[in-house]
Amino acid sequence: MIDEATIAGMLRATLPDAEVRVSDLTGTMDHLEVFVRASVFAGVSPLDRHRMVERALAPARADGRIHALQIRTATPEG
Amino acid sequence: MTDLRDEIAREIADNTILVYGKGTKDAPRCGFTLETIQFFNAFGYPFEVVDVLENVPKRQALAELTDWPTLPKVFIKGQFYGDTDILEPMARSGELGTLLESAFAGSGVSPTIQLR
Repeated sequence: MIDEATIAGMLRATLPDAEVRVSDLTGTMDHLEVFVRASVFAGVSPLDRHRMVERALAPARADGRIHALQIRTATPEG
Repeated sequence: MTDLRDEIAREIADNTILVYGKGTKDAPRCGFTLETIQFFNAFGYPFEVVDVLENVPKRQALAELTDWPTLPKVFIKGQFYGDTDILEPMARSGELGTLLESAFAGSGVSPTIQLR
């Protein structure tokens, strides 16, 4: 279990201007969809955007706070 | 490790669409693996699912090979495409339909149902 503020904090460590929205898929706050909009995603492939998000959230993956994660990404331009 | 890498390379080469997942087509053991199976069922092209749930060394080798920590992992014609987070937008834009069409071109395989 984790909350949106914690996730946003972890993401902003490497994606400083990230706009973060978290949806709880199962009501248990460990199966999540995370939407991340960040300027550093510009020109970055979808695969690499996901790698960046996974890397930022790796500690919460490792200790089980996040069990399942769907990721959507965007840039400020769209 | 070399054997594992060879095994993975062979599986990727042998299957135009290959999914490494948790569980099998008939008995998926993870929601995202199930979702991926349903996703490709809707496209109608043949695909293979390799269950690596219990095979920790192989999961490790796959994670290193792809720099992608999670399952499922999808390969199309030898190329890594991540999971349905990546593939869903590609399906919506039509990019995936085109990719699969060319991947199976000349193979005599056509989708069993209409492309969406």
